Amino acid sequence: MISLLRVLRFAFQNFWRNVWLSVITVSMLTLTLLTVNLLLSLHVLTDAAIKAVENKVDVSLYFNEGTQVELVQGAAGYIRGLDQVRDVQIVTPEEALERFRARHAEDRLILSSLEEVGENPFGYTLIVQARDAADFGFILEALDHPQYRDAIREKDFSNYGIIIDRLNEATGKVRVVGLAVAAVLLLIAMLIIVNVVRMTIFIHRDEIGVMKLVGAGNTFVRAPYFLEAILYSATATGIAAAAVFGTSRVLAPRLQAYFGIVQADLFAYFATHPLPVFGLEFAALSALTILSTAFAMHKYLKV
Amino acid sequence: MIRFKNVSKIYRPHTVALKNINLHIKAGEFVSIVGQSGTGKSTLAKLLFAEERPTKGELVIGGWDVSRIRRGQIPLLRRQIGVVFQDFKLLQKKTVAENVSFALEVVGASPRRIRELVPHLLRIVNLEGKAGRYPRQLSGGEQQRVAIARALIHRPKIIVADEPTGNLDAINTHDIINLLKKINEFGTTVVLVTHNREIVNSLRKRVITLDKGEIVSDQEEGRYRL
Ligand SMILES: Nc1ncnc2c1ncn2[C@@H]1O[C@H](COP(=O)(O)OP(=O)(O)O)[C@@H](O)[C@H]1O
Ligand SMILES: [Mg+2]
Repeated sequence: MISLLRVLRFAFQNFWRNVWLSVITVSMLTLTLLTVNLLLSLHVLTDAAIKAVENKVDVSLYFNEGTQVELVQGAAGYIRGLDQVRDVQIVTPEEALERFRARHAEDRLILSSLEEVGENPFGYTLIVQARDAADFGFILEALDHPQYRDAIREKDFSNYGIIIDRLNEATGKVRVVGLAVAAVLLLIAMLIIVNVVRMTIFIHRDEIGVMKLVGAGNTFVRAPYFLEAILYSATATGIAAAAVFGTSRVLAPRLQAYFGIVQADLFAYFATHPLPVFGLEFAALSALTILSTAFAMHKYLKV
Repeated sequence: MIRFKNVSKIYRPHTVALKNINLHIKAGEFVSIVGQSGTGKSTLAKLLFAEERPTKGELVIGGWDVSRIRRGQIPLLRRQIGVVFQDFKLLQKKTVAENVSFALEVVGASPRRIRELVPHLLRIVNLEGKAGRYPRQLSGGEQQRVAIARALIHRPKIIVADEPTGNLDAINTHDIINLLKKINEFGTTVVLVTHNREIVNSLRKRVITLDKGEIVSDQEEGRYRL
C-alpha cells in the first residue's frame, strides 16, 4: 500500500517534471483518439444516411383509372402480408389530384391543361415501402399476380439501391483512409512514447541507479513508468471524450435538420455508449502505451 | 561469508578483468583490495553486489550463489550489501535526510521506520546537524558520510567501498576510514578497494593485492607493496 502510494507519487512527479513531454505525448494520443472517434461518427452517420435513403425508397403502383376500390384494397392487403414490406399506403384519385395540384401550384401551363381534361385523370395509387432496398425485386415479382397484373398501369420504382451502394462505397473509402491516418498517428504516438520513456530514464538515470543500488525491486523501479503510460492514456481519453461530446452536442441540431425524421443524434450515440466507446478506447490505448513503455524499458533500462 | 571459486570475468570481446580468483572472506573481516589501476579491483567489487556476473567460476555470498542469481533476487541481495563509491552517488536534488530515506522508501519501508532510522543513521555518521542540507552544501568527506549512512540503512552484513577516499583530502580520508573501522567493529564485514598506501599500512588488516586480474598476494596484517 505504501509502495503503491510512492509509485504513484513518482509517476505524477515524472508527469509534471517533464510537463512539455507529457503535453506532446498526450496531444498525439488525443489526436489519434479523435481520428478514431471521427471514424466512429462517420460510421454512425452513414448508417443514419442509409436508413434515411431506405425510408424514402418506395414503389408507386398506379392502377388504371376506374379500378374498383375493393381490388385496390385487396392488393394492398396482399402486399402488406409480405414479410419484406414495411408499409403500404393507399392514395385515392382525389388525393392524387390534390397532391398533383399542390406540387405544380406554380406551373400555370400544367394546371390549365388539367382544367382542359375536365375530369380527374388519376386512378388509385399504392405506395409500397420495403424493409430493405434489396427486397424490391421480390416485391415487384409478387405484384405480377394474375389478379392484379392487368389493373396496374405502371410501376414507378425509384432506384435508390444504386445510391445506397455509392454511399457505402464512398464511406468505405473514407473509412480505409481514416483507419490509415489513425494507424499512422498511433505509430507516431508510440514512437513518441518510446522516446519520452527513454528521455525520462535518461533524466532519472542517477535516481534509478541509486534505487537499484539500495535494493529497490524491479517492479518498484518500473511501475512509475507504466503508471505514467496509463496516466497519459487516461488524460488523452478524457480530452478526446470532452471534445467529442462538445462537438457532437453543438452539431446535433444541424445533423438532425439534415437527416429529418431519421435518428442521427451523434451526441445521444456517444452518451448512451460511453463505456463501450471510451472505455474500450482507453483500454486499447493503455495497452499500446504500456507496450511502448515496456519496449523502451527493455531497451534502455538495464535492471 | 564471501567465497570466490575459480572466478574469472571477461568483458567482451576479450578484456580479461579477473583471472581464476580463489578467495574466502570471513564474516566480520576488514579486507583491503589493492592494486594498480585497471587490475580488476572495481570488477571484483561489482561482482559482490551483482552489478556484473562472473564469466566462469562460482561466487557465493552468505549462502547466495551470486554467479547464478536470478534477476528478481538481486534487490534482496543488495539490501544485505551496502555500497560506497568514490563519487558518492548522492541525489543532488534531495537533502541529506532525503538521500538516506530514499533508500528506505524504495524498498517499501513504513513511514514510522523511516522517521526512526534516518536520524539514527545520521547520528552514527555524525551529520545530525546537517540533515536539511543539499549535497552541494557539504564537503566531500561529509558527502561520503551521507553515502555511508545510506549504505548502512538496511543493516547490511557487508559493506563494499570502492575507493571511497579517492576524492578526499587527508583529513577527510582519515575520518572516513575511521568510520569504516567503527562499522567493522560492530560486526559488519568491510571490503575496501583502495590504492592509498598510508591507509593500508595504518590499518594493519588483511590485504589482497591484485595484478592484471590475478591475486598476487594475500596477507593478514599486510602492507602495501607494489
Ligand atoms: N564494463 C566494462 N566493459 C569492458 N571492459 C571493462 C569494463 N569495466 C572494466 N573494464 C576493463 O576491465 C579491466 C579492469 O577494470 P577495473 O575492474 O575497473 O579495474 P580497477 O578498478 O582496478 O582500475 C580494465 O582493463 C578495464 O578497462
Ligand atoms: Mg576502479
